[in-house]
Amino acid sequence: MWFRLGIRRFKREAEPTIRELKFSLNRIKSSPLSIVGIAIILFFVAIAILAPLLAPPPKGWRDPYMIPHEGWDPTPKPPSAEHPFGTTQHQYDIYYGCIWGTRTALYVGFVVVGTGVLISIVIGSIAGYYGGVIDEALMRFTDIIFAFPTLVLAMALVTAFGPSLESVIKALILVSWPSYARVIRGEVLSVKQNDYIEAAKSIGCSDFRVIVRHVLPNSIFPLLIMASLDIGAIVLTEAALSFLGLGPPIGFADWGQMIAFSRNWIVGPPGDPYKYWYTYIIPGLFIFTFVLGWNLLGDAFRDILDPTLRRR
Amino acid sequence: MELKHYIIRRILLLIPTLIGVTLLIFAVIQLFSPVERAALYIRDPRQAKDLPGIIKKYHLDEPVYVQYYYWLREVLKGNLGYSKSVNMPVFDAILNFFPATIELVLYSAPLIVLLGIKLGVLAAIHKDKAADHLTRVSSIIGWSLPSFWLGILLLAIFYGQLGMFPPERLGTEASVYVNSPNFIRYTKINTIDALLNGQLWIFIDALKHLVLPVASLTIQIVALIVRIMRSSMLEALNRGYVLAARAKGLEEHDVIYKHARKNALIPVFTVTGILLAGMLTGVIITETVFNYKGIGYWAAHAATQLDIPAVLGFALLAGVIFVFTNLIVDILYAYIDPRVRLG
Amino acid sequence: MAPTDKFIPVLASEVPTVENGLISSDGLTYTFPIRKGVKFQNGEPLTPEDVEYSFKRAMVQDRDGGPVWMFLEPLLGVYSTRDEEGNIVVPFEKIDKAVEVDGDNVIFHLKMPYPPFLQILCQSWSSIVCKKWCIEHGDWPGTAETYPKYNNPEVPPLQEIAMGTGPFKLERWEHGVEYSLVRNDDYWRGPAKIKRVIVKKIDEWSTRKLMFQAGDVDICYVPRLYMKEVENLPGIINVKNLPELMVSALFFTFEIDPTSPHIWSGKLDGDGIPPDFFKDKDVRLGFAYSFDWETFIRDAWAGEAVQRPTPVIEGLPYFNPDQKGYYLDLKKAEEHFKKAWNGELWDKGFKMTLLYNIGNEYRRISAEIWKRNIESLNEKFFIYIRGVEWPLFLKDMVASKLPAFRVGWIADYPDPHNFVHPFMHSEGAFAAWQHYKNPHVDELIEEGIKTIDPDKRREIYYELQKIYVEDCPSVITVQPLGRRWFRDWIQGWYHNPIYPGFYFYDLWKGY
Repeated sequence: MWFRLGIRRFKREAEPTIRELKFSLNRIKSSPLSIVGIAIILFFVAIAILAPLLAPPPKGWRDPYMIPHEGWDPTPKPPSAEHPFGTTQHQYDIYYGCIWGTRTALYVGFVVVGTGVLISIVIGSIAGYYGGVIDEALMRFTDIIFAFPTLVLAMALVTAFGPSLESVIKALILVSWPSYARVIRGEVLSVKQNDYIEAAKSIGCSDFRVIVRHVLPNSIFPLLIMASLDIGAIVLTEAALSFLGLGPPIGFADWGQMIAFSRNWIVGPPGDPYKYWYTYIIPGLFIFTFVLGWNLLGDAFRDILDPTLRRR
Repeated sequence: MELKHYIIRRILLLIPTLIGVTLLIFAVIQLFSPVERAALYIRDPRQAKDLPGIIKKYHLDEPVYVQYYYWLREVLKGNLGYSKSVNMPVFDAILNFFPATIELVLYSAPLIVLLGIKLGVLAAIHKDKAADHLTRVSSIIGWSLPSFWLGILLLAIFYGQLGMFPPERLGTEASVYVNSPNFIRYTKINTIDALLNGQLWIFIDALKHLVLPVASLTIQIVALIVRIMRSSMLEALNRGYVLAARAKGLEEHDVIYKHARKNALIPVFTVTGILLAGMLTGVIITETVFNYKGIGYWAAHAATQLDIPAVLGFALLAGVIFVFTNLIVDILYAYIDPRVRLG
Repeated sequence: MAPTDKFIPVLASEVPTVENGLISSDGLTYTFPIRKGVKFQNGEPLTPEDVEYSFKRAMVQDRDGGPVWMFLEPLLGVYSTRDEEGNIVVPFEKIDKAVEVDGDNVIFHLKMPYPPFLQILCQSWSSIVCKKWCIEHGDWPGTAETYPKYNNPEVPPLQEIAMGTGPFKLERWEHGVEYSLVRNDDYWRGPAKIKRVIVKKIDEWSTRKLMFQAGDVDICYVPRLYMKEVENLPGIINVKNLPELMVSALFFTFEIDPTSPHIWSGKLDGDGIPPDFFKDKDVRLGFAYSFDWETFIRDAWAGEAVQRPTPVIEGLPYFNPDQKGYYLDLKKAEEHFKKAWNGELWDKGFKMTLLYNIGNEYRRISAEIWKRNIESLNEKFFIYIRGVEWPLFLKDMVASKLPAFRVGWIADYPDPHNFVHPFMHSEGAFAAWQHYKNPHVDELIEEGIKTIDPDKRREIYYELQKIYVEDCPSVITVQPLGRRWFRDWIQGWYHNPIYPGFYFYDLWKGY
């Protein structure tokens, strides 16, 4: 009896949320670009999960993230039966690199954005909620990080940490959390003024509870939008760092590295300038599609969730 | 508050921000042990014996605040360390390579701003129609392409195949003339210097060499700006005053260009910040591809050689430039929009 | 064009030999008559005093990491003017007496007979500078009192400027970007045919290639990796299989610094290696039989390198063409690893990190070959490969922190002493870092450099080559064969293996 009461109550309380959700879903369905975005992302997630099946590492191969290669012949080979996408210089299999590179990209993207969001939620909500000196101090700190263009600061950090995938992730987290923190802080600031916060506080809710139950749920949407747009940007920055030699070790399955391998083969011999097209077109397509997917998704989120644009 | 007060306040805020910037760079340096930091000064195995001497000389083993003092003192004197990748002190390297980048930015920035705004507005006005989709997808493409892809492809087509626009800054003949005593390098910006020296052929030569790097940089950054311009224009178009203007029966054209755009221009100043960030980042790879010896080339080259003083020197420079530009932007912003200074 | 295996008198008017009496019969005195009528680029005439000054100045300066040890050894019998702590221990009188002017001649007094002495005088460190000009530009005034002040300077006075008697003048040097040389029209052998040489640094291969193809670049360095693309282009000449006097090896460190992070646990417990890991000869031989020379040469060097068993490579006097070395034999490697450390190694396994310096593809590939082959023998063998920047690599190498390191050596002068000393003498560059010490080897090397009789020398160096293979302190990978690339309008080029770079005086453009 208590149980049935609980469910009915839940349904009643949740009704507006569910209605909004349904509305959101409808909007998503009616926007073709959003569907494309979601489809792309799901496609990549599927590849990442199925990587061991799609591109099994050779028997006895110790680390599946190191791309297998037969010998070290410097010249890339075109697509063939054994190497569906061809090979890069030193014979790294492009197909293998792109498939397992999907895992790397998603891993880097989610870890960086996820950790950045977590850090920023803590710092941003503290700054926004308590205000005053704490806020000033924290915001000055983020200002300092904002004083540097992303790639430049990331370069400096990775150079200092020593190039490796972990360094890149650490550096990117350090460089991205400030922008999320700013957003959370802004949202917290505006929500803070609302009456229901006053009400909650007056009945004795602890600060923590107020923040978690009332402030955050209402501030999270802009963050979601930023985060999804950022996953694409993060992967691009990681690729740029790999290109500058500041990424994972040579031979690691990473899209940025595959592009870096292609760097000197973009212009082929005079009679056949696009001879090695597969070294840069294929990994490039992976990166581009991935970034496109997240962009479309992010734009879709914005168009759908932004209250001012929501109902036209 | 009055504009004057706002300006003073912002300028005062500049100092702690700048100090913060130096602190961050210093913190990054501190990630290394004294021995590792000393090791960055050696070039030959036989000099490695002298690490303790180097540590003493640069105060590398003293408490952190002492080190910061010495380090900052050196920085203010202009000593940012030695860039081994180009065999000269970091400060000299900056002076040496900066003019080339300024020249590049000089020609790219106006193009980027004009194109970016134009296309962004276009996309916003025709939201969800063909023009919008086209612009959005093109901008995403421009933004998602690895930067050197574009650069090298441009080179392959326009230099390799067509022989029209070469890499580097000047052709051999022009380069020899520019470095001879007959030519005075007032600014080290070749196009300007050529005009000041009355050598038209050098002016044209320098322009020819600028075409591809400018194109490459422009495409990359316009992509960024278009989306910002689009969303800010969209926001502006939905504001109350636009609805009111429409309700009053004003022509759509006037609504857009007289009312919405003017207010949408405010974020253009924010765009300048993004433009600058995009430039400082974009030149790193663009200059490398075109062998265009500016600070981006220097930074990239230093990064591949793990020339730490250079990379940090570049970061410090970027930070300082950014801080100052943001100051100017904020002041202009406050000048235009009184709401901001009431803060 | 001149033959590259004979000495030619340039600033000296005659090459000293025993026959013409300019080398004393005991080999301790060399007399050089100085050519008359030669002018420096600033107009000053070349005098024997300038020659005397040039060598004394070099010895006075003796900069850390510099080449002066090469004539300190024959002239004074030491490797440096300073001791371990950096204090000057060689008195000025000794330097003063080593070189003197006698009328139109300059006389060198050697401490011991030294077969490669003339060769050392043929290289850039033996360049002749103008005493007056140097002093004008802040260099050593030539006196005994000023010797300590000018010894081992932080920044040598002649760092940015140069002036000599040569066919080209340094016109401009933009650090890290390019430098240009302009013709000296008053060169005593007649002016060069080429007016100006500009040497540019273009890191981006695609850009460099396009400029080479377009003819905007006449001579180009083509990395082996991209050779095939440029090989058959019209108008581009490439000369291949040029013998080069350089060699590379994997050096084992016999006493690794116990604080090194690259040995992991530091014990023979399967989780690392002990600091004296490579003292066990079976370990070294295991590595020696695990290297796949064929694949390395074929893939990394495009077939243009030769496997050599010892540091005394082809092109050096007393190279032993019949000396046998190691080869790929994984069965033998397995045997040796099983025997190593009384069988403990095979049971427990090991972990170590092999470093290479970033940018050097050959070293990276060779490290990977070792990793692949050795790891395939036993599941418990782990070799991690890491790329680090050169200064950190250097620092760890010199501190004996690297369990094994891959470096190379280029000839300073074409004599086997220049190779066996660093590779095998306990005080030689590499052997010192390795803590490899074989007193018999030291004796032989010291004997070899003092011996003038070619047959006696042959015996000594053949013996050294044999011991090298037996002891296996390092494993030689290859002696590379060089390639040069230039446009077909460049004429007059010929190969001189000991001369680094291009000798522009003999080149001209045309068809």
